[in-house]
Amino acid sequence: MKKFLAGSLCAIIFLAIALAAYLGLGLMDVAADQRPSAREADFMTASLEASVRRRAPQIQNPLANSDDTLIAGGKLYLNDCVGCHGEPGQPPSDFGATFYPPAPQFPSAGTQFSEAQIFWVAKNGIRMTGMYPQGASYSDTQLWSLAAFISRARNLPPAVVKAMQPPPSK
Amino acid sequence: MKNFIFGFLATVVLIPIVPLTYLRLGAAEVRGDVRAPSWESRLMEFALHASVTRGAQRIQNPLPHSDEQLIAGGKMYLDGCAGCHGRPGRPARKRIAYAPPPEFAHVGTQYSEPELFWVVKHGIRRTGMSAYGAFYSDQQVWQLVEFVQQMNNLPPAVFDAIQPKRP
Repeated sequence: MKKFLAGSLCAIIFLAIALAAYLGLGLMDVAADQRPSAREADFMTASLEASVRRRAPQIQNPLANSDDTLIAGGKLYLNDCVGCHGEPGQPPSDFGATFYPPAPQFPSAGTQFSEAQIFWVAKNGIRMTGMYPQGASYSDTQLWSLAAFISRARNLPPAVVKAMQPPPSK
Repeated sequence: MKNFIFGFLATVVLIPIVPLTYLRLGAAEVRGDVRAPSWESRLMEFALHASVTRGAQRIQNPLPHSDEQLIAGGKMYLDGCAGCHGRPGRPARKRIAYAPPPEFAHVGTQYSEPELFWVVKHGIRRTGMSAYGAFYSDQQVWQLVEFVQQMNNLPPAVFDAIQPKRP
């Protein structure tokens, strides 16, 4: 047992030194234009989604489920989100693709998150991504309308699409 | 000896399982408006700088230093970078986003010109710094880099020349 513990202790020291060498020698790849392995990317995406599910409130959108809500959210989206997350009816954002992790393209790819989770992410941002917290810039009401819009960005009522045209020039 | 090796191997296998489980169960903080503990940000900054230094090892600035380069870089900076990194001559903004973009006009930078070039071109993974190699030529990136390095010490002629013209 004593030898087992000695081996364990040696392993702890070994791992600490290995980690220090990996970080200190600059072996951790930090270039955003080089993708990590698919395994790493999948694991981190799953971990992020697990954290959001665990922490975001499980509540209904307090705003009325109406075209007006979607239009209000759509206008905010066109103003501030399209640069990275892509514009409805347009090809995916080149700029959003130059981040790592890349910005999800809601109009083409949609999202797995509920409206409350989208609201929570928009308000608080996501650590260690390009998603900055928007809670200081927008009211909760604005963020809920945005969440409603993003959650239906792939499937907007035609009246909403029409009301959002023409998009403000960027 | 057998027990020693067994203890070593068991620990090497078990220790990585702990952080992986922690992440996968969603226990990690993900909010961008909550500050990370200072040991974490210091460790990551240390590893980041080491990695950038390694990446930029063989890069050299081919451009001369001149006011023209600074002005060209400054215009690009105000256009494409100032939104996150701040404008020279303006007060620093309070940022709690993690990782926060450095306000160069107030904190300067510890990175050399080749290191900055590498960062602008390739971006930084898991931050809001995207890779601009897709949008700017190498020459433009060097102009930007010269400007960022000298932002706190600009010749007055350059400072005036980059201010937006009021019609």
